[in-house]
Amino acid sequence: MNIKKKLLFGAATLSMSLLAGCGNSNEIVMWTPLTGEDGQIMDQMIEEYNDTDPEFPVSHVVTPDLYTQIYTVMNTGEGTPDLAIIHADRVEGFVRFNMLKPFDDLMGNHPNLVEDNYIEQAWTAGEVDGSQYTIPLDVHSNVLYYNEDLLAEYGVEHFLDDDVLTFDEIMSLEGELDEGHYAINTSLMSWVLLAQAVNLGGDISDDEGNPTIDTPEMREAVQALVEVEEAGLMTPQGEDGYAMFQGQTVLFSSDGTWSSLAFDMVEDLNYGVTNIYSFDSDTWHNRGSSHLFGMLTNEDRTEEKEEGVAEFLDWVYENSVTWAEAGQIPASREVYESPDFENYQQSFFTKSQEQIDSLLIFDYEYYGYVEAAINLVIMDMVYGNISIEDGLAAAQQEVEDLVAQGHGADIDVDLDELDLEE
Amino acid sequence: MDKSMSQEGLALEKKKKFNLSQWIFIGPHFIFFIVFILFPMIYGFYASFTRWNLISSPTWVGLQNYQTILGDPTSSFYRQFRRGLINTLVFVAGTVPLQVIIPLALAIMLQHRGIKGKGLFQAIFYIPGLISVSAAAIVWLLIFNPRLGPVNNLLGSEVTWVVNQPYAWMVIFLMTLWGSIGGNLVIYRSAMSGISRDLYEAADIDGASGTVKFFKITIPMIKFPLLYTIVMSTAGAFNVYAQPLMVTQGGPEQTTHVLMMYIRTLAFGQGQSVAGMAAAMSILLGLVIIVIAAFQFRIMYHNAK
Repeated sequence: MNIKKKLLFGAATLSMSLLAGCGNSNEIVMWTPLTGEDGQIMDQMIEEYNDTDPEFPVSHVVTPDLYTQIYTVMNTGEGTPDLAIIHADRVEGFVRFNMLKPFDDLMGNHPNLVEDNYIEQAWTAGEVDGSQYTIPLDVHSNVLYYNEDLLAEYGVEHFLDDDVLTFDEIMSLEGELDEGHYAINTSLMSWVLLAQAVNLGGDISDDEGNPTIDTPEMREAVQALVEVEEAGLMTPQGEDGYAMFQGQTVLFSSDGTWSSLAFDMVEDLNYGVTNIYSFDSDTWHNRGSSHLFGMLTNEDRTEEKEEGVAEFLDWVYENSVTWAEAGQIPASREVYESPDFENYQQSFFTKSQEQIDSLLIFDYEYYGYVEAAINLVIMDMVYGNISIEDGLAAAQQEVEDLVAQGHGADIDVDLDELDLEE
Repeated sequence: MDKSMSQEGLALEKKKKFNLSQWIFIGPHFIFFIVFILFPMIYGFYASFTRWNLISSPTWVGLQNYQTILGDPTSSFYRQFRRGLINTLVFVAGTVPLQVIIPLALAIMLQHRGIKGKGLFQAIFYIPGLISVSAAAIVWLLIFNPRLGPVNNLLGSEVTWVVNQPYAWMVIFLMTLWGSIGGNLVIYRSAMSGISRDLYEAADIDGASGTVKFFKITIPMIKFPLLYTIVMSTAGAFNVYAQPLMVTQGGPEQTTHVLMMYIRTLAFGQGQSVAGMAAAMSILLGLVIIVIAAFQFRIMYHNAK
């Protein structure tokens, strides 16, 4: 072997060794989409778990663009992680493509991993055809932050006596606010809209699984938001309403539970949390989603390792109060009913069964399409750039086209049939 | 004797045919080209004739995706492609000429003997190109912030730039030019430094004006770098994605929603992937770029003759 060949052989061997070194059979590899501060808190939790010296320690891999990465590795069959944190609306699609292994068998040996021990909506999001495919970590919900000082300044603290701000109460502020002050901002507006549609008795899909966006309920919900904007009570288009709430010029901010981390850092910002506004104080919802642990299908994984996965989830059930630091609502009853959790703002949502019931999690398989389509048109509808009818019709059409494409991926299309159709 | 000579010749020929060292030099690039460019291109072309959600196997649908995109006005994919392509063309028309003219003018100014600190000026123009689009977008959004930004405060304006047209495009154009003129400036300066001073001195003796010297000496002498920058700037502009995404998120009313944003959303957005349709849109965009680049080449070569 001459020196050139030796060099080539050496380089190839080194590359293969490095690639092989990426995996460890005794390690539970967990992929998550937690790219922010929540990723660091998850790291902290994993470290706490690994300090208990488990037989199968967990390795946390933060994976931006998680779903594309999962599809890629599962297509190739190489490098599939053992565990992943996925969102509620992804479960049905994952199950349909045989990407998740149910926890049914493991649940028998782990009595903590049962429905009664978790927030119901988060648990049932992982239930497909009678099998349990995911174990919930949390619920992360839409929430209405309010500025205590501004409420006092305008003498409207009583708005929140029943924990629900209504559209009528918002509209009563018309002409009452100082210049540059606004009642609400537009953060997570599509989440707010979806909750309003449900408050009015609507939904995002019908019993047959067809999307239902262009509906009377949705039109009424958008109209209510338009009226708030026309009354000059909504932060102007193009303004950063999130920053304006931090700058103390907005009374209410519809945001996520996790935003409390940022608000805590603002000096002199006295804020509280309550439910997302609604049409009346009898019916209200807080649109949310859930981070769920799913065991990805992998023929090569041993039963012992799967048992290790269940032990980790068992540990999370008992110890996930750390996760509340990320601004999330831990789904574990043991945690959300613990005194430790009461120190966190988001414990507001678990203080009663009524509050827990208000957490609205969509598990519609095509939810992602719905939210994206609404996001494309919502600001233009609310600020009057396009009509509500045109905006909702466009969103409805877009989701229908996307769903048709999604279904089409599963069927074998015969070219002759296509010719006939044409 | 003859036989041994012919054998030696054969061995030499073989040695010439397979030379390991040349493969070592081009090998890494060649492998990367095949794996990361050629194969994805071929597979993307194939995918454009399928319905594919990236999970299950692609399903062959023939020309259906193209028929939908190009010939079905009732489909949202038709509207997305049309709107996305028009918006992309607006971006190309608004940025490419300035991406050539501004650095060319700057390069000519920096050629002037009286100017000191040419390297410093060049660095000042070049550095923005090294800054990530995300970071740059935050800065530009602050500059054009309706309440806090220096632009509105200095002009006494109340315009909300990124949600009103034509201001939204203006911010995108400005941010793009700020980040892109440095690269072309370096190329033009390098090309101009290779032009013999004798040509300009001869033109001076003949009494040629500055304009004549520019069009008769400078432009012809930097013709190929100029062509290269025009073609590359055009291709880059057609692939615009990050600037409108970061500055306007495609608004207002999707008037800055460029084609790459639609393609990206279809393939890797929320919900299941619609990769087949996205691939078909990509192929069509690629064809547009090829046709325009070929047209540019033809015009430039024709003028050169």
